[in-house]
This record gives sequence, C-alpha cells and structure tokens, in this order.
Amino acid sequence: MSGRRWHFLLQLGPLVAVALLWEALGAAGIVPENRLPPPTHVLGGLGELISRGLPPGSSLLGHCAASLRRVFGGVGAALAVAIPLGLLLGRSSRLRTLVHPFVELTRPIPPLAWVPLAILWFGIGDLSAVFIIFLGAFFPILLNTVTGVLSIDRGLIESAVILGASKRDLFLKVLAPGATPAIMTGVRIAVGVGWMTLVAAEFTGVKSGYGLGYMIMTARDIQRADQIVAGMLVIGLIGFGMDSLIRIGERRLLQWR
Amino acid sequence: MKRSVVLLSSLVLLAAAASPAAAAEKLRLGYLRSDLHHLAAWVGIEKGFFRDEGLEVEVAGIFNAGAEEMSAFASKGIDVGYLGMAPSVTGVANKAASVKAAALANAEGSAIVVRADSPLRQVKELAGKTVAIPGYASVQDFLLHRALEAAGLEAGAVKIIVVKPPEMITALESSQIDAFIAWEPHATKAVTKGVGRVLIPSSQIWQGHPCCVVAFEGSVAHDRPVVVQAFLRAHAKATAFILANTDEAVRTGVQYTGMDEKTVRMALGNITYRSELERAPVREYASYLARLGYIKETDPDAILRDYIDPAGLVKDARP
Repeated sequence: MSGRRWHFLLQLGPLVAVALLWEALGAAGIVPENRLPPPTHVLGGLGELISRGLPPGSSLLGHCAASLRRVFGGVGAALAVAIPLGLLLGRSSRLRTLVHPFVELTRPIPPLAWVPLAILWFGIGDLSAVFIIFLGAFFPILLNTVTGVLSIDRGLIESAVILGASKRDLFLKVLAPGATPAIMTGVRIAVGVGWMTLVAAEFTGVKSGYGLGYMIMTARDIQRADQIVAGMLVIGLIGFGMDSLIRIGERRLLQWR
Repeated sequence: MKRSVVLLSSLVLLAAAASPAAAAEKLRLGYLRSDLHHLAAWVGIEKGFFRDEGLEVEVAGIFNAGAEEMSAFASKGIDVGYLGMAPSVTGVANKAASVKAAALANAEGSAIVVRADSPLRQVKELAGKTVAIPGYASVQDFLLHRALEAAGLEAGAVKIIVVKPPEMITALESSQIDAFIAWEPHATKAVTKGVGRVLIPSSQIWQGHPCCVVAFEGSVAHDRPVVVQAFLRAHAKATAFILANTDEAVRTGVQYTGMDEKTVRMALGNITYRSELERAPVREYASYLARLGYIKETDPDAILRDYIDPAGLVKDARP
C-alpha cells in the first residue's frame, strides 16, 4: 500500500468509527434524537437540503455560493489592507509604537459586537457580512505579518540596504518573501475566523435570503435538528477544503526555501 | 453561652414555623424578549398572582425567538413558557420537544408595516416587494401568506426574508425592505418613531387569530397537574387584570420592554388578551405548516393530540 493511501485510511478510519458509535448511541436511545440526530438522519436532512432547499426553493448551492462570496470578500479585503500595513509596521518601530494602542483597543472586541453598527452603516446586505468578516480576519493577518517581518534575520535586511536595494525592492524582494510563512499561518487563522463570524453575521438576516448561516437559522426556526447538523457539516467540509487548498498554495509559494 | 444556644435554636424553630406548611412549588418560566403578547406573565409576577397560588415562579430564560425557547423546553431548562403558537406547534410536529399548550396568551397583535412615506396602500401592491418576517414558521409568516392569498397573490410574488425584529425598523428606514410583519410593540414602535405606517393589522388578516400560548414542558403537564392548574388560574387572573387596569398594565409593559409609554399604550390597543385556547385555529395552522413543507408529521389531528393539554383552558370550536 502506498504511503499516501495509508495516510488517507488513517484519517478516514477514526471518522467512520466515531460516526458508527454516534449512530449506535442514537439507535440505543442513549442520545435522544431531538438533542443530537444520528448520522443517518443528518444525511437524510442533507439530502433534503440538496433536493428541496431550505426554505423550500432556496438551493444549498445558492447558500454555499453566497457564503463563499462573503468569506472571500472579507478575507480578501483583510489581506489587501493587513499585509502592506504589517510589512510597514514590521519595518518601523516608531510606527509600531504609534499604532499599538489602536490595534490593542480594537483587537479584543469580538467582530460580532459590531453587528448592530454594521447593519446601521451597511444594511443587511453582503457588505455588512463582508465588513464583519474583514474585522475578524484583519488582526490575525496583521499580527502574523509583523511577527514574520521581525523574524527575518536583521543582517539580511541590513545587507540589502547597504547593497543599495530600493524601498520597493526591499519590501517586495526581502520583507514580503521572508514574512510569507508567518503570513500564511495568519491567512489560515483568518479564514477560520472568517467562517466563524460569517455564520453568526448571517443569523441576523441577509437581504438576498441566501447564506449557510441563514440556512441554519431557518432550520432552527422550523426546528429541524437534522438539517441544522447537516448545515454545520457542509460548513465543516468547505472549511476543510479551503484549508487544504491554502496549504497546497503555501507549499508552492515556499518552494524556494 | 448556653443561653445563646437556646435563643438561637428557638429562633430557628420560629423561622421554620413561620414558613407556610406546604413549600411553594417552583416553576421555571420562559418568555420572549420585549414581546408585549407576554404581558400576562409580567403582570402575574409583578402583582404576585403566581405567588398567591403557591407558586414560586423563577424567570429562567428570556428568548429572542420561539424556536430558541423550544430548545430550552427540549433540554428541560424551563417548565412553562409564553411563546408563539406557531413555533410550539412546529416543534411538536417535528418532535423537537414535548410541550403541551394549555391556554392562550393573546389573540391578534401583529401588523404589516410599510414606510411612512410609502405609496403602498393595499396588500396586493406588495407584489415584487421585499417583506421581512421574524422567522420561518412564525405566526407572522403564516399571517403574511394568508394576507397575500386573500389579496390574490401567489407566495412567490413577494420576496420574503427573515430579519430579526430589533433590526426590522432600521432595515425599513434605510429602504432595504419595503415592509415587515412583526409582533407588538415592534409594529407600533415603527409608527411612533415616524418610520412606518401600518398597512394592515393582523386582526384584519385573520379576525381573532390566536397568537401566543402558555405551554408546559411535557413531563410537567403530565406529572404536576395541580401545579399546572394553579399556574393557569394565575394566568387567567393576570389576563383579567390587564383588561380591567390598562394604566397599570401599560406601566408593567414599559418596565419589561424598555419602550416608551406612548408606544406601549398604542400597541396594547392592537392586542386582544384572552386566555381560552381554541382547537380549530390550531388545526388550521398545522395544516398550513404541512402545506409549506415545514413539518414532517402532516396529520393535523395527530399534531393536535400531541400538542393540546386537554386539562387546560381549552375551548372547542364554535359550531
């Protein structure tokens, strides 16, 4: 058996075992169905989500697309702002001192506490959710970028400066590549936080009527625990897939090392 | 030293003798946040009606939605609750929790609201517009569908989305939705804030429609019938009190919703406080839930058997 297949089986085995145990606990009546529906019922609920949609007529694919769009929007905006700012902060200790109180005052505020304000400013459309996700994703990327720059060998930066590297070259050819491993860690955390905040942001209601958080809220409204868990499963799968993609991207980006 | 021991023990004895012979029966109560339909619960607490019946009612949960309250019933975190007939029927039909409805909390008391400057004058003009409901399978969801049907519109003619009541007025004001349907005092609040105008009160959509109920957790209804009856007596007393003492009821409403007196007083005018539960409208509601595909159990009579506590303040339909 090849190493890769063995690795796959090693990951799949425990998953199947847990699912079987969960099913057995349900069948034996130890875990009542209204508390946690067994996997077979969850799959049934998932089937209904795919075939009928929830609310009936709103397809699962539509919900996934809407949520992905919001996550990409929010995390994308966070990348665009946090990486350049992080590189600058990593390079200048004076700037770090100036910005420090702002970062440390805003960072502990949970993104969800911004929901009422976000709705006032941006309404119940996509922009509101994107803003909330941006807030959640921004700080992990920013702080990791700063840490990444600070971890670069000072000698390397000094020699680049002495050898006459332009500011632009210094940022693009020394600081950014040097900080990439740390930035990638930040991105992975940011995507996770992005999903976390997204679902809760969508709980308040979204104008389009699409989104996985909105779908789960609907399942709760009509009190279908099987479809609630099925929705959670879909989010888990998408999150897992995205993380794997980021890791593959990370390996490609860091091949030079 | 000896004297103080004697004194102390006699004090303890005295204290024991002073407490009533039967210890008060404890009941954990749930209701919805700022929902004026549940005024009888607040009046019952404030006026001591529950205490008079030998009950020690502890507020164990204040919820944003009926579905959340049903989860609390499922985990046996509350014994009795004021909540919409809609989410409780849905939960029973989907076997999410076992509850027994024993009395009505109120009838009517919702309204479809449009912007104050909106040109919309009739329900049929909602075609192509976006209307917010507080939740799928809520009483308001049902009322909206019924209003649209009566106006000759298909459900698909209107874009229906869920927005939680606190956000509805903001969403209406900023034109993100064209109308909403909500329970009081949110509908009246939109009016007194100058944002909204009532397009149609729910009393004109379905005259005398039941709205919220008093429901008991299944095992409480089964095992503690005496306590249930005591609670229902207090509930009926509180309901009668609201009808006879509007000013005091308004004060209690202000205290529990945090809204201004004008809004609460106006909103009370749209709510009918009544404690008798009728079977026929519950049956109608169950049929509607089945038709929209919200529930798994589709036989309304089976749902009624599971849902209604026959020993409650239940009235059979008029012929």
